[in-house]
Amino acid sequence: MNALYLAFAYLRYHWGRSLVLTLVAALIMFVPIATQILLSTSERALVARGDATPLLLGSRGSQLDLTMAALYFSDERPDPVTMREVEAVWDSGLAVPIPVHSAFSSAGFRIVGTTLDYFDFRGLTVSDGRGLSILGDAVIGADVAQTLGKGVGDTLVSSPENLFDLDGVYPLEMPIVGVLAPTNSPDDQAIFVDIKTAWVIQGIGHGHEDVVTAAEVAAGTAALSNAAVVQYQRITDENIDSFHFHGSQDGFPTSAVIVVPNDARSGTILKGRYLDSENPAQLIEPAGVIQGLVDRIFRIKSLLDVVTLIIAVAALAAIGLAVFLSYRLRAREIATAVKLGARRGMVLRLLSAETITLLSLSALIAATGAAIVSRNSEAWVGWLLALGS
Amino acid sequence: MPLLRPFLAVVLTLLAANPVAAQDRSRVVAVNYPLQYFAERLAGDEAEVIFPVPADVDPSFWRPSIADISTIQSADLILLNGAGFATWVDRVSLPRAKVVNSTAAIEDQFIRTESITHSHGDGDEHSHEGLASYTWLDPILAIAQAEAVAAAITARGIAPDDAVATRLDALRADLAELDRQATGAFDGMQDIAMIATHPRYQYLAQRYGLSISSLEWEAGAMPTEAEQADLVALAAQTGAQVLIWEAAPPAEAFAVAAELGLANIVFPTLAQGVDDQTYIQAIANALTAISEAKP
Repeated sequence: MNALYLAFAYLRYHWGRSLVLTLVAALIMFVPIATQILLSTSERALVARGDATPLLLGSRGSQLDLTMAALYFSDERPDPVTMREVEAVWDSGLAVPIPVHSAFSSAGFRIVGTTLDYFDFRGLTVSDGRGLSILGDAVIGADVAQTLGKGVGDTLVSSPENLFDLDGVYPLEMPIVGVLAPTNSPDDQAIFVDIKTAWVIQGIGHGHEDVVTAAEVAAGTAALSNAAVVQYQRITDENIDSFHFHGSQDGFPTSAVIVVPNDARSGTILKGRYLDSENPAQLIEPAGVIQGLVDRIFRIKSLLDVVTLIIAVAALAAIGLAVFLSYRLRAREIATAVKLGARRGMVLRLLSAETITLLSLSALIAATGAAIVSRNSEAWVGWLLALGS
Repeated sequence: MPLLRPFLAVVLTLLAANPVAAQDRSRVVAVNYPLQYFAERLAGDEAEVIFPVPADVDPSFWRPSIADISTIQSADLILLNGAGFATWVDRVSLPRAKVVNSTAAIEDQFIRTESITHSHGDGDEHSHEGLASYTWLDPILAIAQAEAVAAAITARGIAPDDAVATRLDALRADLAELDRQATGAFDGMQDIAMIATHPRYQYLAQRYGLSISSLEWEAGAMPTEAEQADLVALAAQTGAQVLIWEAAPPAEAFAVAAELGLANIVFPTLAQGVDDQTYIQAIANALTAISEAKP
């Protein structure tokens, strides 16, 4: 007890050195633990999203790009497939196909055009407002609402597809009609619209006298439609009936199609239909693609572990040196203690008590940090995964 | 007394079970009256069939409110007619898993109408090809639609398979009987030019080889003088002997047509139901009227 009291008094007296040693030791303990927690959570999140998406239909090409675009709404742009593929799956009666059109964005967040089946499939619920009802409606994820500070009653304008889009397809202003409850998944980072709204953004569907001009915005009054001054198009009560689509819906595009088979047998039959490499469409298992990605991450993790170990050894050596040097500096103090009658065991107890106190404080700080990381890991990992490429 | 107790138990059980049964009934939404009729006959008491369009609104041009859309979205089955009928479905979010297009299997029999050409802003002109929508006026196509409705009800487990199959046989027989009656009613009318007050009868005309020209009159209204002039001109041009009304107009309107030598026939298009008549009865009555008024 006396040894602990004396050790604590000594550390408090040399508080600067004690603080540095404590923080360094805490960091050495915290970094590998936090890395482990984040990687484990990433693995769980990645694999869970993949496992929850039985099959993915898309254009033949990079399976990873397709998976990232359809599951994580990343910036990858796989070649689109037509809605004919969706109808083919419906006609097979073997699965429910859910189109995911993620080619556009607004305010830095992906616009995901889909059908209402997506919300049922992912178990998404509206925490404020209502779900998608009419052409132009947008329902935003929880993070989108928080980041943009927008909610029900506000509007979003789609970003122009590219600067060289000379087709005269104007961005679309979309009213926010609902905000989704948070799910700690990429859905929190998405702006959901009906796929028909995505086609309007793409210019496949359009109305008449549906443009809002720069002059109108500036003056707050109506102005003549003129492509030179147009800012964006808006779907209103007055013009919604004029909105229409050109051509057969079967030829309209979607980035990917989530395919939910009725059972394992249906899934196997469907997969067999897309084995032909001449088929421009492919049907993949996202879980397998994600597992490959996770394996790659964990190969990097092994490297990271070695680096962490080397740094930890170096840091421990530095701490050992600092302690050793402090003992050398305290040689006269220890000699005085011995002359006063302290036995060698007593001196060792004193030094041990100082070291144990330092390490205990470091462990406490590291454990607190790890607890904070653990508590927020799902949210942080969700955010990291949604950052895109 | 010994018999009364089990009897009361059965009655109480039924009373207790009925509200539950009502709550558990599947909900089917139809976009027009014929599909409502087919669904009611095929699903029986196992489903509540809803036709959400108010009686005074043309279902082709109805615009649902947010509350209407919510009701439709929450249904177990949404029956669309297809063939371009009810264009509001293109502007509303519907759960695709619940939507069934009743004419998907007969798209090769669709009748293309004349194109509408227009342009957007400074864009080039382009055309939209129209489709005749009133498929159910052809009893043979109606059979195909009824079969699609039956398949949808069965696939979603809304009613027992064998019960649906039995009801479909009965409905198919009724529609086949309508076809037989129509064949008789229109027998010999293939060379007689007819005028319809609205372009709704394309499938009926195609099935029975009829020659029907169309006006664009409001259903059930007295035609204006300009519309009467159009009728005179069209009658002179086609040599028409019959005028088909989609809803009964005022008696004066009949008189106007009669003065032109046209036989008046009311043939409801049935996108909306007709008071006190089912789909089968309404068409059968119209066919009877045609047989009697045949020039």
